[in-house]
Amino acid sequence: MNKMKNILQRSFLLVLSISLISCADDFLDLQPQQNISNEAFLQTFDDFNTAVLGLHDQLQGGGNAALYGRYTLLVPDVMGEDVKQNASANRAKEWAEYNGSETDFIPEDIWREFYEAINIANSVINSEFDAGADLAADLNTLKGQAYGIRGLAYFMLCNFYAQPYSFSAGAGHAGVPIVLEFDFQNKPARSTVSEVYAQVISDLNQAVTLITTSQKNAGYFSKAAAEALLSRVYLYMEDWSNAEAKATSVINNYGYSLVSRDLYPTQFIDGLSSEAIFEMIYNTTDNTGSNHIGGMYKVTGYGDYLPSNDWYALMEDGDIRRTMITYDSNLIGDFAKAPLGPARVDKWPSEGPLNGTDNVSVIRLSEVYLNRAEARANLGNDAGAQADVDIIRQRANPGIAAVTATGAALMTEVYNERRAELAFEGHRIFDINRRKQSLARVLDCTSVPEACNLSYPNNLFILPIPDGEVNSNEEIAQNPGY
Amino acid sequence: MNNQLKLSLFMKNIYLLLISLMTTFYGFSQKTINGTVSDDQGPLPGATIIIQGSSTGVTTDFDGNYSIEASEGDVLEFSYIGMEGQTVTVGSQDTIDVVMASSTELQEVIVTGYGTSSREKFTGAVAVISAETLEMQPSATFQSALQGAAPGLQVVSNDGAPGAGISIRVRGIGSISSSNEPLYVIDGMPITSGSLSTTDFSNGGRSSNVLGSINPNDIESLVVLKDAASTAIYGSRGANGVVLITTKSGKAGDPKFTLRARYGTQEFAYDGILRGLNSTQYKQLHYEGYIARGTSPDAARELFANQFPLNDAGQNYNTIWLDEMTQTGVVQEYDFSFSGGSEKVTYFGSANYFDNDGMVKNNKFERFSSRLNIDAQLTDRFKVSNNVNISTFDQRGITDGTRWQAPFYLAYLMAPTVPVYDQFGRFYGDHKNFFMGGNNPVGHLYDDRRELSQMRLTDVFEVSYEIMEGLTIKSDWSFDLLKVDEYLYQNGRYGDGRRIGGYANEGGISQTNWLGTQSIQFTPQDTGNHNMNFFAAYEAQKVMTRTIELTGEGFSHPDLKYAASAANPTTAYSARSDYAFQSYFARANYDYNSEYFLSMSFRRDGSSRFGPDQRWGTFGSIGVGWNMTRLIESVAFVDFLKLRGSFGTTGNAGIGNFDWAGLWGFTRDYDGNPGAAPSQVSNNLLTWESQENFNIGIDATFLNNRITLNAEYFERLSSDLLLDRPLSLTTGFTSVAQNIGDMKNSGIEIDLGIDIIQTSEAFLGVNFNTTTLKNEITYLPEPIVVSTKKREQGRDFQEYFLFPWAGVDPANGDPLWYLVNSDGTINYNSTTNRVGETERVYMEGKSATPDFYGGFNLNASYKDFSLGMTFNYSFGNYLYFNPGWVIHGDGRFTPRSTTTYAFNNRWTTPGQAAEFPKHRWGGNQSSNQRPNSRYLYEGDYVRLKSLNLSYDVPTDLFGNIGINQFKVYLDMNNIWTWTKADNLPFDPDQAIDGIYNTMTPLSKTTSLGVTIGF
Repeated sequence: MNKMKNILQRSFLLVLSISLISCADDFLDLQPQQNISNEAFLQTFDDFNTAVLGLHDQLQGGGNAALYGRYTLLVPDVMGEDVKQNASANRAKEWAEYNGSETDFIPEDIWREFYEAINIANSVINSEFDAGADLAADLNTLKGQAYGIRGLAYFMLCNFYAQPYSFSAGAGHAGVPIVLEFDFQNKPARSTVSEVYAQVISDLNQAVTLITTSQKNAGYFSKAAAEALLSRVYLYMEDWSNAEAKATSVINNYGYSLVSRDLYPTQFIDGLSSEAIFEMIYNTTDNTGSNHIGGMYKVTGYGDYLPSNDWYALMEDGDIRRTMITYDSNLIGDFAKAPLGPARVDKWPSEGPLNGTDNVSVIRLSEVYLNRAEARANLGNDAGAQADVDIIRQRANPGIAAVTATGAALMTEVYNERRAELAFEGHRIFDINRRKQSLARVLDCTSVPEACNLSYPNNLFILPIPDGEVNSNEEIAQNPGY
Repeated sequence: MNNQLKLSLFMKNIYLLLISLMTTFYGFSQKTINGTVSDDQGPLPGATIIIQGSSTGVTTDFDGNYSIEASEGDVLEFSYIGMEGQTVTVGSQDTIDVVMASSTELQEVIVTGYGTSSREKFTGAVAVISAETLEMQPSATFQSALQGAAPGLQVVSNDGAPGAGISIRVRGIGSISSSNEPLYVIDGMPITSGSLSTTDFSNGGRSSNVLGSINPNDIESLVVLKDAASTAIYGSRGANGVVLITTKSGKAGDPKFTLRARYGTQEFAYDGILRGLNSTQYKQLHYEGYIARGTSPDAARELFANQFPLNDAGQNYNTIWLDEMTQTGVVQEYDFSFSGGSEKVTYFGSANYFDNDGMVKNNKFERFSSRLNIDAQLTDRFKVSNNVNISTFDQRGITDGTRWQAPFYLAYLMAPTVPVYDQFGRFYGDHKNFFMGGNNPVGHLYDDRRELSQMRLTDVFEVSYEIMEGLTIKSDWSFDLLKVDEYLYQNGRYGDGRRIGGYANEGGISQTNWLGTQSIQFTPQDTGNHNMNFFAAYEAQKVMTRTIELTGEGFSHPDLKYAASAANPTTAYSARSDYAFQSYFARANYDYNSEYFLSMSFRRDGSSRFGPDQRWGTFGSIGVGWNMTRLIESVAFVDFLKLRGSFGTTGNAGIGNFDWAGLWGFTRDYDGNPGAAPSQVSNNLLTWESQENFNIGIDATFLNNRITLNAEYFERLSSDLLLDRPLSLTTGFTSVAQNIGDMKNSGIEIDLGIDIIQTSEAFLGVNFNTTTLKNEITYLPEPIVVSTKKREQGRDFQEYFLFPWAGVDPANGDPLWYLVNSDGTINYNSTTNRVGETERVYMEGKSATPDFYGGFNLNASYKDFSLGMTFNYSFGNYLYFNPGWVIHGDGRFTPRSTTTYAFNNRWTTPGQAAEFPKHRWGGNQSSNQRPNSRYLYEGDYVRLKSLNLSYDVPTDLFGNIGINQFKVYLDMNNIWTWTKADNLPFDPDQAIDGIYNTMTPLSKTTSLGVTIGF
């Protein structure tokens, strides 16, 4: 028996030792190799820099490019009258036809991606880190950029999902939820529009304060971008004097200048022009191809949307902006019939390997002039408003006469100039709605008759709170009409 | 350190247990017995003789002779694979000759997890699929042979393309978001299964299958473990069932050679697949669609004339795309194997070539595989074996599903007025600015590339040492090395690569999977009627996966197609991801006099896939059996009756490798600089899904074993289901992985076989199996809507939740929808033409889960002829035509064509009762709102899966040249299909979730073959 016991003992030791070869302490303690854990990130200055670059990238939008890559620009325009829909359109079709529902991907993607941006910004803003004296200003700038982009995100969310500031006295109607700290179980209710605008202004002012280092280029959120956006925010709030003040500050203090007529089209192709204040930089590594906003319009892209006659008729011969089109003999229907045939928008024209690499403007100096023109017209400063409109209009068409209209007629000039200048850049339905105007697709509106005329106030001028939010957050209230 | 401590304590306990058992039962006194073992054909070399209750054993030599030391009163067990075992008690005699007879199913050895058993003794629920069933399938993978072959298995073809994947569910769906595929174990090693693909080649995981490496002819048996008694020994990976693959091994004796050759042709299995329009029909729809939009007829005609080119005769082209893209497929297979051995060393080897040219042009799968299995008894106590398989395959695929290049999508959407070739004889691409990116589905098959090559080396090495009689230690070291290379190319002239001057995507995955299992087996001896054995093991496994992928755009010449020639290298991607398992497990089997059976198993598993706080889980099972045969000896027609039951727990660790961690992701860049963003919410509490399995079964044979019945009732209770719980999108995330759901699958399985005729010349047997399945989500705090389904507590997991389609308004051709009552039921009395006024509802219990499914087969033989037929069926499930909203979209996508079915059934005139609304470019207002019940179909079907007719040519015809088998056969597969829905627009064999996504339809194969043995 003893002998056997020895054999047994030896064999067990053998088994045991073989087992232990593969039984190191950390055998099961594997770490991901493409990601970094929450605990290990935002621990260095470079981490903050990387996160803020990620935040800028987020503004382009994710898989569906729902933010400045595509839908944040496209949707407000297809809901207006300056863009018409091609028969083959598929992407924003429901919104162009005022037949959308909360299950559609567009309201969900825009909502989700702006809140993803807010979450990145919150991580940067809320993470304590002492960068040391040498880097303190740079770290503050990074935090300021996070504040600024968070303010922009809340402002845009309000534009898409809430009725405008002017909709009710004191703007006490429903806005969007304000989330300033990460909590995965958070199910926030909607704040009022007034509360959201207060947050927007506070964030943009923080950006103005914290951003002290100079802007690398217009692709990065800057102090000027914060002030320029504030001019638009105050305009939407009908706080005309602040709008004018912010616009004037941008025009006078930062050295931006309007590009010349000859170079006008190149500002959209080459980007980073003298009038670019904040824009999304696209290059080949972004690889957006035809998913870029340009692809929505170009014949070589998806070609879903076309310039309308309404827009074409706003301008006169010789206007540089009218020439940024191409012709497509395969089109049929009620679209802009420029002199040579049915037209397509060609504002972002790069093709081939550069397809989809045109930068996309978030805000540029032209808009700041037009913001000021509208503020001045509302303040009764007709001469100032006329001058601002002339700067923009005569730059595009030097032969055209100066504006002489006053009062309501001047206001129409201001409005129309904004349509002509900022067409396809994602402003139209916001402008209609905040000015309490009705939508009238005037020329050749036959293909979807029920979407030709919509009057203010209108539930359908804003998007529904997406299904994905309503299903996971019982505190959220849906917009009426959806 | 902690683990080491646990291990040593555990081993110490086992050791003490074994010592005490041995001192109780061990004893001896001996003499030499000689004899011969034979069957009705003559002596049996390689038969095993073991002294019962010990591990002392010998095998017979070439002449069937043996010699063994035994004591008077010892019981000798004689066994031989395929023969009924016999026992003889040693008395005063010195010679014991034994004549063995073929065994019944009950006594056949079946492979179980980490061991073997027999139907007679096993307390668990298993399905066994024989090599003969496998041989009848001209398929790249053995998995297709499982369809209809045994109860409890739901087997579906995800994709009919050569080499594509196959899905298997054992007893329903036990998980919501983790894997539902069973664990595949080959010769004891858990291997990688499913899809391994980094590029788009796999079409979402459906079109590639790493198990395509395995030559089905190498397989001796397939055993599917279904209940806890059989699967709990696999612990955290046993919840979805386990498929045990045992490859062939040699038997002592002269070398045997087998040559198999097969050649067959393929066409579509289902006759009801959709057809595209001809140019006359398309032209009519083209006008109709514009006129319905308010365009004048003249303008519509002008547009048509502008868009489409004319042929030399001045007519529109008339391209029937489906016919242009498809061909008669060819499948051929050549297999050579050899086996044999001496008393000490046996071998099996094979070489295989399998080639399938699909029904889509240029779509193919080609495999070379070879195997060598060797078993060697080095000394009386020391035994080694090594099974090595090297295999390589090349697959050329297509873009499948619902994308612009997909043949079975574009076959309907491409206008027939677009020609295949242009005036230069190239594939036509001039429609690129107005029609679907200039995609040319035939050109895609030639000018573009989608390729995958796989190399796989699997080696299972085992060494065992018998320390003393009844006590053996074993060490297994196995490797599974996989290398996948993929290449995608889109030409720059037309189609998806046109805007970027061509696109190439090259990727590679290499995976190293190693496993070490150290085990000990103890069978106490001289225990009288108390038979028992014990098994304990330690196992470690690590799987390391490396992925690289790069893409490039811009090619200057049509013959330059690889990323190296790209003007613009766009992305370079790499990933490394590892996971590891570490496990301790044990099992004890006991039976009293082969009448009462008890088995217990236990496993403790650790996995790197879970957070540090939840890394270890414990699983176990208990099974009992009662052989009642002796009790009912008086009932003459019953030969055997056994009741058994089991209960146990298993787990499902089939999730991502780091799902528990809170992470930042770094796949972003801005202005050429790297960016980061939060990519995953942390959940340190994330743990296994666990499952309780309850099973009771009955095994019986009647009337001299001519009727066999096996019936089971099962319940699978899955809990802690991992779920991506939706979060408020305002958090910046859509969901977090949590363990929050419970689900129950229950059902009955019946397997009934009857041998109707059993004479020396003729045989006729039938077999029928069915499985009923009921699925219910038993706990889910919040309903979750996923695509066409809504998951809600109290309901079937696969229940459809759709907008209720009410047909077409005869007055104006508008789509109509039923309104919905306040209780969520469909109000059949009111309709609306605005989908916004109704909402999605449950479709009165319609689900993708079948009520019952299974198969039946018939085997007949007369003299040298034999006939086998296998049917499979599924009833009560519903299928969803996912791209119906595009293909049958009533003109929503201008100016895409549609099917003849849509053309013939559309509304055209007021008062017409039509199935489809009027055709209008841009679509009718939401007529194709997703997802709606217009695209839901009954999925019930019966299919003659295989028909095999063979003739054994009498070998004496060949004289004395050594040929001992010459079989010629005709195989026909999927040749007949019945569907309940007569308008079902696609093959009824679809993915488990019931969603049809214009994947390649299944093929019908007719093949001729020959098997020669010498």
